[in-house]
Amino acid sequence: MTFSHECIVCIVNTGFSDAVMDAAREFGARGGTVIHGRGTASQEAERFFGISIQPDKEMVLILVPHDLTDAILYALYRAVGLKTPGQGIAFSLPVDQVVGLSSLSFGENREGAAKGADSGKNPENADQ
Amino acid sequence: MNEQDLKQRRPDRSDKKSVRKHPADLTAPKKLKLLFTVVDRKKAELYSDLIGQYSVNLQIILPGEGTAKTETLRLLGLDDTARAVIVSVIRDDLAPAIFEMLEERFQTVRGGKGIAWSVPMTSAVGVAIYQFLSDYREGREDPARANERGREK
Repeated sequence: MTFSHECIVCIVNTGFSDAVMDAAREFGARGGTVIHGRGTASQEAERFFGISIQPDKEMVLILVPHDLTDAILYALYRAVGLKTPGQGIAFSLPVDQVVGLSSLSFGENREGAAKGADSGKNPENADQ
Repeated sequence: MNEQDLKQRRPDRSDKKSVRKHPADLTAPKKLKLLFTVVDRKKAELYSDLIGQYSVNLQIILPGEGTAKTETLRLLGLDDTARAVIVSVIRDDLAPAIFEMLEERFQTVRGGKGIAWSVPMTSAVGVAIYQFLSDYREGREDPARANERGREK
């Protein structure tokens, strides 16, 4: 089953939601909604991996057409991924119905998104 | 206490067979969805109440911020970005009616523009939880069927 839209959820340290939106806009996203929250992480895992998790988080919800998802997720990985100060994780959820979007919302930046999608097929190799 | 008193105290289950549904009337459990509705924070209660009319038992309203359209507007303080994200658990079969209602309200309510989307839920643990989320009540007419009948009339 294919869906016309997807909801990208990006959870980052507080203060990095602008960086998330800048990266997403570059590849065709128009707007997003930011929710504040507190993250929880296993203290044992933090010690094991030698990282500290800032508890204050921002969760950014971005609704995008299916064909822009890969490019935007890759852009988020590059801009606010776990190895950056934003310490972000991003994932997408399938959206089966939408209302309230204007039909002209996603007209721009589709070319850029297509290029980004091609280069972003394997995010694990991004730094190589 | 004699036997007659005991009989009177015992719940009468003689007509239980007649209440039990015929196998042909049994239907598969309704699927559930997670509905996200993003609206102006001042309109959150209104939309929550509207969605609540469609057999929705669980809704969470989260305060959120919209992302400013331009840096200039934000610097000038001209962007009102206070939003509310309403997360509701809705029944799959009632989703079309809810979306229809929301679409109409987004266009007609002053300052009530918004966006809504749904994400399918794939599992829930516990019969009681499922019955709560889907607003299933024994012996009550299915609200979706009642709506259809109302339209037919």
